[in-house]
Amino acid sequence: MTQTGAPRGGLRLRGVTKTYGTGEAALTALRDVDLDVEPGEMVVVLGPSGSGKTTLLNVIGGIETADRGEIRVAGEELTGRPPRELVGFRRDRIGFVFQFFNLVPTLTARENVEALVELTGRGDRRRVPELLEAVGLGDRMHHFPAQLSGGQQQRVSIARALATDPDLLLADEPTGALDQATGRQVLQLLQETNRRGRGVLMVTHNASVAAIAHRVVTMRDGGIHSMEHNAAPADAVSVGW
Amino acid sequence: MSGVPGILFTKTLRDLRRRLAQFAAIAVTVLVGVLLFVSSYEAYRNLATSYDRTYDRLHFADLTATGGAPEQTAAAARGTDGVTTVTTRTQQDLPLRIGADKLLGRVTGMPVGSQPAVNRVDVIRGRGLSASAPDGVLVEKHAADTFGLAPGDRLRAFDGTRWHTLIVRGVAVSPEYLWPARNRQEVLADPHSFAVVFAPERTARTLAGSDAAPQTLVRLSEEARDSGGAGAVAARLRAAGAFDVVERADQASNATLREDLKGFEQLALGFPVLFLAAAAIAAYVLITRMVLAERKVIATFLAAGAPRGAVVRHYLGHGLVAGTAGAVLGVVLGLFATSAVSHAYTDALGIPDTVVERRPLVMVVGLVFGLVVGVAGGLAPALSASRTAPAEAMRGDGGTLKPPGPWSRAVARARGLPVVGRLALRELTRSRRRTLATMTGTVLALVLVLASTGMITSMRSLMNTHFGEVQRQDATVTASPRAPDLTAKLRDLPRVAAVERVTTVPVTASAGEHSYATSLSGYRPDTRMHGFRTDGGGTRELPAAGVLAGKALAEKLEVRVGDTLRIHTPAGPPRSVRLAGLVDEPIGTALYGTRDTVEALTGAPAQIYQLVVDDGTGTAGRDEVRSAVSRIDGVVAYADSQALRHQVDTYLSLFWIFVGVMLVFGGVLALTVISVTMTVNVAERASELATLRAAGVSLRRIAGMLATENLTATVLAVPLGLLVGAAAAFESLRAFNSDMFSLELDLGWPTLLAAALAMPAASLLSQIPAVRMVRNLDVAKVVRERSQ
Repeated sequence: MTQTGAPRGGLRLRGVTKTYGTGEAALTALRDVDLDVEPGEMVVVLGPSGSGKTTLLNVIGGIETADRGEIRVAGEELTGRPPRELVGFRRDRIGFVFQFFNLVPTLTARENVEALVELTGRGDRRRVPELLEAVGLGDRMHHFPAQLSGGQQQRVSIARALATDPDLLLADEPTGALDQATGRQVLQLLQETNRRGRGVLMVTHNASVAAIAHRVVTMRDGGIHSMEHNAAPADAVSVGW
Repeated sequence: MSGVPGILFTKTLRDLRRRLAQFAAIAVTVLVGVLLFVSSYEAYRNLATSYDRTYDRLHFADLTATGGAPEQTAAAARGTDGVTTVTTRTQQDLPLRIGADKLLGRVTGMPVGSQPAVNRVDVIRGRGLSASAPDGVLVEKHAADTFGLAPGDRLRAFDGTRWHTLIVRGVAVSPEYLWPARNRQEVLADPHSFAVVFAPERTARTLAGSDAAPQTLVRLSEEARDSGGAGAVAARLRAAGAFDVVERADQASNATLREDLKGFEQLALGFPVLFLAAAAIAAYVLITRMVLAERKVIATFLAAGAPRGAVVRHYLGHGLVAGTAGAVLGVVLGLFATSAVSHAYTDALGIPDTVVERRPLVMVVGLVFGLVVGVAGGLAPALSASRTAPAEAMRGDGGTLKPPGPWSRAVARARGLPVVGRLALRELTRSRRRTLATMTGTVLALVLVLASTGMITSMRSLMNTHFGEVQRQDATVTASPRAPDLTAKLRDLPRVAAVERVTTVPVTASAGEHSYATSLSGYRPDTRMHGFRTDGGGTRELPAAGVLAGKALAEKLEVRVGDTLRIHTPAGPPRSVRLAGLVDEPIGTALYGTRDTVEALTGAPAQIYQLVVDDGTGTAGRDEVRSAVSRIDGVVAYADSQALRHQVDTYLSLFWIFVGVMLVFGGVLALTVISVTMTVNVAERASELATLRAAGVSLRRIAGMLATENLTATVLAVPLGLLVGAAAAFESLRAFNSDMFSLELDLGWPTLLAAALAMPAASLLSQIPAVRMVRNLDVAKVVRERSQ
């Protein structure tokens, strides 16, 4: 692993349980999950639909709270923290990338990124063009989402996620809505981000993507079914599916 | 949040531009509401200030006392705290002859060579009174306009024995007759039946004769006026012998103008509120739609740690921008309109002073209205946006399908209906907010239409009741006291169907501390000339003993049936009489008895004749009757009762323009709300409509589906709208009810039907932009947007 920045964004989960609903309708999405991720690590979470991947991501990102268990992310203890404090945690520590790019259609690529800086008060607006350059959109930063391809839109959303300089990037099926070539470009970007020291945790159902991770976690029925270490992660350019 | 509004404000502006038509409709509705508020409220305040300016400048009396020895009443007033000026004068209602018209006019004494200390006049044409011209008089402006009198013209006044010639020296505006009313019973009168002449005091005394009751006019200091000092002065005047004391608030002209102001104030506040409510609803629908469309983006921002307050502020900003833009324009246009409306009103009423002031507070309130619309329309969706679960950002477009509700299941069972029809009906509950907004828009529009129309239809109904059921005579003839019985002569005239001799005496009725100046009329027990309506709408006979009183009069005197009233007349001592019953009268409130009762109470002979002309007699025929009656010896005045009706009908026909404008506004209001909800409807369902279009469903079918849905919501709201509109009309009419008017709501089925039909029509019109949107749907683009 070649890193150009100090590793960050590690996490530690102990006995994390999350149940939706009550009584007969209760559905346990996470069941006593224990997980350790080192700072600067790239982790891919695999699993079939309903295995608890997205819930895991939500709990780590502070979008949802666990019913039980201990959660420590990027040096911050999340257990028992009220929702208001979790907002600050997300703002300061976490970046999200979603399958659906969720861009504001009336704002340009640059403005979409700046909007998050403005809303959170974190990050530097002057750095936004640089970020867009970094994701390969230097010449398209003044385009509106409708004028961009799906891959370009996803790159904008990655730039947006990086704008607040998070310790940990959480990506939920970031290539799910993209074709192979475009998906590969997005994976390259994520890998590059990771190589700069930032932790990346990516949820996907695409097993081919696992090759680029340091560690591959497979979930089943809300629990961790297996965990594999990858001593030599593949370059995203070589990934195919 | 950084506090720099840059990017998010840019987004707000682009959102507004993207939905320009809908936001513009909201802004225009706010504009109309604020414009109406600023212009009408400022004009209302300006009108009140204009009255006060005229009253101050012309030293309008705070109290007018009639009766008693003038020296005593004046001395009593002077000795009371707060009294600044006291004068006395002679005033008497006398028959006048102006050209071919004979009417019961009024002669009022004034000093010569100078203005009176109280109740001054503005001489607007000619010259003032002069000691060297004892027969020279000033004619009040309304009479001069009605009869075309100018300086140098002649008229004659009857002193009870003979006609005196008077020469018009000038035309004057008087604070007592800004609204030309003889008394509170005749605030709406045929202008040809009343004229006021200001004569030198000595001439007035000569004409009035010994029966004239002198008047004492009192003016108070501002402090005394504001602190209700008039009551104490009135008590002293009564104690000094005055049998009638009228405070400024009750003076016929002033009271009528204040009633008018009350209506104006209601208009200035009520109608704008309707527009602003409609704008708030439209803003709510539109911003809700935006929030729904941007839910995933909002969730993304929230997931990234954006504070909820920033999201609230952002979406609230959309409503505030639209509301503020409309309000700013409304205030600016309102400032221009204020001057025009103020002048239009004072000109129409003939108020000599026009005060045009622009009150910063009113402008601020106008702007606040815009902000309130923005907050009211934007707050709920903005809060809803801020409560978006960040996890929503991760979900696909499919979302969770809600199970069908009871309505959808019921419609699904209606197999007889075409699928398009069933789909449209199901849409009603798919977005309840949108359906409710359409229904609320319809209800608001109906309130606006019915509240304005109800005023006119009820006024027309009042006139029909007054002239059809209560005051049944076509003309009232006043004879000289010395004239013999003219009944036979009048009955013999062509076109005269019936004649009755009547006794009518101006009196002041009192009970305890209360008194009220009115008229006491004596009729034949089986009279055809007057109907005595009971509260329930029936009629009753005159009592053999005692008198009947109008309900409002009884309320003023705080008496009930069976109580005793004191009746004061200019001549003779006061007498007591039992209140035998109450009558319900639309205009004015008076006392009635049999001729025997009235003559026993007042000693006055029956000098009045009331007559009915043949059915179908037109204006020309009535003029012939007027001429023929006026030629009879002994006739000193003739008043055509129906002329007033024609006058009011003409007046009301002008008001139909107002109703027409309100109908247009109502339509605009309904159109705004319905078209915004409609376009939101199309935008929300763009993908499914685009899919239908792609599958080859014709635009006509889709338009039919949208129209069915919309019309159903509108039609469902119509009954509620009619009920709420009728209630609003009833409430607004109640504000006008007093002893001068008793307005009952009468909308009539044609009005209700027209209003009910206008709403679906407005709804259909609002389909146009929606259908255009469907026509212009770019299937590929819609699919692309949905994938974001």
